[in-house]
Amino acid sequence: MTDLLSLAQSVVQQAKAPGVEVEAIITHDVETQIKVSRGEVEQLSQSSSRGLGVRVIDGGRTGYAYTSDFSDEGIARTWRAARELAKVATADKYRGLPDASPISDEDLEIWDKRLPSVPTTEKIELLKRVERAAFDYDPRIILAEFCTYGDAVNHVYLANSRGFAQQYGRTTAYSYLMGIARGDDGGMVNAFGSGASNFFADLDPDAIGREAGEKAISILGGKPVETQTTTIVLDHAVGAEILSALALALSADDWQRKRSFLLDRLGQQVGSDMVTLMDNGRLKRGLASAPFDGEGVPTSATRLIDEGVLQNLMYDTYSARKDNKASSGNAQRAGHRSLPSLGPTNFYMQPGHQTRDEIIAGVKRGLYVVSVMQTGGIDPITGDCSMGANGLWIENGKITGPVGGVTIGTTLNDFLQNISEVGSDLRFIPLFGAIGVPTLRVDNVTIGGTK
Amino acid sequence: MLEKSLAQKVLAEALRTGADLAEIYVEDVESLQLGIDDSRLETAMRGEDRGAGVRVFFGNLVTYAFTDSLDENSLMEAARAAAAAGRGTQQQAKTIDLTERKSQLEYPIRKPFDTLSIEDKVQLLSRMDEAARAYSPQIVQVTANYQQLRRQMWLFNSDGVQVEDDRFYTEVRAGVVAKRNGTLQRVREGFGGRVGLELLDDNDALAKVKNMCERAVQMLDARPCPAGEMTVVMCNGWGGVLFHEACGHQMEADFITKGSSAYAGKIGERVANPIITAIDDGTIPGRRGSLKFDDDGTPAQRTVLIEEGILKEYMWDLVEARRVGRDGSTGNGRRESYRHMPMPRMTNTFIDQGSHTPEEIIESVKRGVYIRDMAGGQADIAKGDFVFNATVAYLIEDGKLTAPLRGATIFGNGPQVLQEIDMVGNDLALDPGMGMCGKIQMARVSVGQPTIRIPRVTVGGTDDASASN
Ligand SMILES: [Zn+2]
Repeated sequence: MTDLLSLAQSVVQQAKAPGVEVEAIITHDVETQIKVSRGEVEQLSQSSSRGLGVRVIDGGRTGYAYTSDFSDEGIARTWRAARELAKVATADKYRGLPDASPISDEDLEIWDKRLPSVPTTEKIELLKRVERAAFDYDPRIILAEFCTYGDAVNHVYLANSRGFAQQYGRTTAYSYLMGIARGDDGGMVNAFGSGASNFFADLDPDAIGREAGEKAISILGGKPVETQTTTIVLDHAVGAEILSALALALSADDWQRKRSFLLDRLGQQVGSDMVTLMDNGRLKRGLASAPFDGEGVPTSATRLIDEGVLQNLMYDTYSARKDNKASSGNAQRAGHRSLPSLGPTNFYMQPGHQTRDEIIAGVKRGLYVVSVMQTGGIDPITGDCSMGANGLWIENGKITGPVGGVTIGTTLNDFLQNISEVGSDLRFIPLFGAIGVPTLRVDNVTIGGTK
Repeated sequence: MLEKSLAQKVLAEALRTGADLAEIYVEDVESLQLGIDDSRLETAMRGEDRGAGVRVFFGNLVTYAFTDSLDENSLMEAARAAAAAGRGTQQQAKTIDLTERKSQLEYPIRKPFDTLSIEDKVQLLSRMDEAARAYSPQIVQVTANYQQLRRQMWLFNSDGVQVEDDRFYTEVRAGVVAKRNGTLQRVREGFGGRVGLELLDDNDALAKVKNMCERAVQMLDARPCPAGEMTVVMCNGWGGVLFHEACGHQMEADFITKGSSAYAGKIGERVANPIITAIDDGTIPGRRGSLKFDDDGTPAQRTVLIEEGILKEYMWDLVEARRVGRDGSTGNGRRESYRHMPMPRMTNTFIDQGSHTPEEIIESVKRGVYIRDMAGGQADIAKGDFVFNATVAYLIEDGKLTAPLRGATIFGNGPQVLQEIDMVGNDLALDPGMGMCGKIQMARVSVGQPTIRIPRVTVGGTDDASASN
C-alpha cells in the first residue's frame, strides 16, 4: 500500500506554501471483532477503513482537519480547512514540525505476518476457549459478559513538508471477558480477564478465561474490614491504574503547564529506591511500540525515575523546544482524528525479585487488592489517589478471606515513597499506551471500611 | 444521502443468505473544536466522518460490516460481508417496501452554527480565560473548549423502516487549577446540549467560570476527607450520575437478558424506597441524550424505570428485545458511530422530584459529607458496587456546611443505596449538559436528580483519625 504514502506526500505538496509547514497522516485499519455468549457467536464485525488528517503550522499557528473522504475534492477541502483554521490559532514560536530523522529498520516485532490470514473460524474457536476456561475454573462462574476477541491490522503513513515520509504496520490481537460468579447466598461479583499481543499465537485463551474466573471466585462474599492504615499488595490491573496517572505527571507538556504533583522535583528522590520507571517506545513485542511517533520522531527508551530519583520527563517536539531538549518520541495520536499529543508508549516499572506469593507471605497484616474501581480518583495534578477496592485479607503472610466494599486512599507521593517491594512478575496492560507493572507492596495506605 | 432504490438493493443483497432482518445505517458527521490552553488558542480542528454499516440478523447471531465510502460497490461489498455468515439459501427476491417514518419530536435549532464566525467563538474562549485569570492570582491554569457537532443518521431496514435524525450538539467546557504553596486544586465543568448556538445566549459562561474559580480557591483550604461510614447528601443535577452509574446500567437490557444484573427478574418488585421514582427520557427538548429515533430506528420515548419504589421497566434495544420476543424496544439502542453496532444505553436519566427543600435535607444531618461536584463514577455490574470521586465536597456539622474536603470517595452498593435513600428534595434539575457515558462505546447522556440524602454509606479518604464518629 505504498500508494497511500505517495498520497500523503501529495497532500503535503498541495497544502504547503511559503512559511506554512504541513504534515499528513493516513491510517488504514482492517479490524475484526467477535463476541461469544454461552458457546454461541453473538456478534461478528469485519471492516476496513481509511482516514486522512492534515496538520498545518502557519507562523507558529496550528490548524487541523480530518476526513474519510479520499476524493480529490474531499482531500482539498480538508487541507484547506486546516489552512483556514491555523489563522485563528495563537502564534507560538515553539510550534513546528520535527526535522526528518532517519528511521532505523530494526525489527520491533510488532508485525504478525500470519494475523491477516488467520481464518475467522480459528478466532471463534479461540474465543470459545476463553469463555470455557472461565466456566471450567469453578461451577460458581455463572456468566461471561463482554466475551470478546478483536484484532487489528493498522497501517500508518506519515509525511511532512520537512521531507519526512515513512510508514509502518502493526498488528494487535486481544481478548477479554468479565466473569460473573454467584455465591450460595445469591450474591454476585464480577472480575475481568484479558490478554493482548502483537502476535495471534501469543494469546493464551485458557489463561485469559481462568484469570476472570479465578479473580471473581476469589472476591466472592467479600465483606468490609474496619477502617485502618495498613499495608496493601497490588495486583497488576490495580497497579496499572495508578501508573497510568503517574505517566501523565511525567509529561513535560504538563510540567510546562504546571499540571503535575511532581513539579520542580527533577533530580530529587520522589520514591523509594525500589522504584525505577521506564518509557520505551522500542520495546520488542511492545503493544505501543512503533519505529516513529505520531509526528515522525524516532521512538526511544527513557529512564524517568531511577531507583526513586526523578531523572527525566517524556517529550514531544513542542515541549522539547520549550525546554531546549530533544523529543523522546512521545507524540501519540489516536488515529487520524486527533492532533498529536504527549503521552506514554510502553510505560513500565522495572521488576524486582520476589514472586507474588513471596510478597504476600512477607505481609503481617494487610489487603491484597484484586480489583479497583475509580473514575478521576487518581489525580496526576493534585496527587490525590482514592479508589473502591475488592481483595483478600492477609494475616501473618496468609490469605484469610475475601474483602469487599472498602476504599483505599493515599496520595501519589506517598504511593511512590511507600513502595516496599516490587515483584518479578512484570505484565503489560493495554491502557492509554501499554502500562507494565509487577505486583507491588505499598505500606501506610488508608483503608476505609466499617466504623 | 442514500437513494431509496440503492438502499433496497443493498438490503436485498444482505438478505440473500437467509437472514431474518437486514439494516443499513448511514452517518454523516461534521465537527469543529476550538480550545484554549495556557492562554493560547492551541486546538483549531475540523473533522468529517462519513460511512455506513450493514447489520444482518440470523436469529441471535448478528453480523456487521462497515465502509467509509457510500458508493454502490462499497455498500454491496459490506452487505455481502455481513451476509457471509448465513447458511441459508437465496430468498425469493422480494421488493422491500420502505416507508419513511416521521418523528413527532422536534429539536429545533434557534441559532445555526454559522450564525457566529470562528473568530467570535474564539473570542468567547478568550474571555473565559481572562475572566478566570482576573479572578485571583491563585488561578494558575485555565483551559476552555468549544465544540459543535452535527451528526446526521439515516436508517433503512428490511422490515420497511426508513428514518432519519439530524442531530446538532453544542458544548463548552472549562477547567481551572488553583495553587497555593504546594497545594493544587482543580475544578472542571461544562454546559451543552442537543442545541445550536442559542446555548451561548442561554448560559452566562463568564459567571460560570468565576464560580468555578471561587470553588477551586476555596478547595485550597480543603482538609483530607474523613474515612468511614457516614451520612452523605448529594447535590441536585450532576449528582444524578449516582443513579446512572449505580443503578441505571444494571437496568440496561443486555445485563438483564443474561441475568448478570441484580435487577434481572425483578419487574413489579420493590427495589427502592417508595419516595423514589426514576425515569429515562429520550424526548426532553435540548438535552444531550435526546433523540428522534434511536440508532436501531425506534422512536425515542419516556420510560418510567421505577415508580414509587417499584421496578417497572428496563431499557431495551432491538437485539435484546428480539432475543426475548418483546414487541419492540424502548428506543434505547445507541451506537458511537457507523463503525459500531448499537447496544442498550441510557438517554437522559433522572430521579424524579421529591418533597423536601434542599436546606431541610442538609439541616437534618448532624455529621456527614455534602457532595457538590464529582468527577464521574464507575460501577460493577454484577455486584452493583459503585464508586464516585468527589471533586468538591464539604463537611456537614450540626446541619451546616463547614470545612471543604479533599480526596473524598464514596463507595456503596447501588441496589442497597436505592433502598436506603431516605430524603428526596424538591429541586429536581438535570446536569448542565456535558455527560459522556462509557460502556465500551461512548455516548452523550444527561443525568439528573433533586438533592438526596443517603443515611449511611462508606466514604473513603486519607484521614482515618476522625473516622470513629
Ligand atoms: Zn455510564
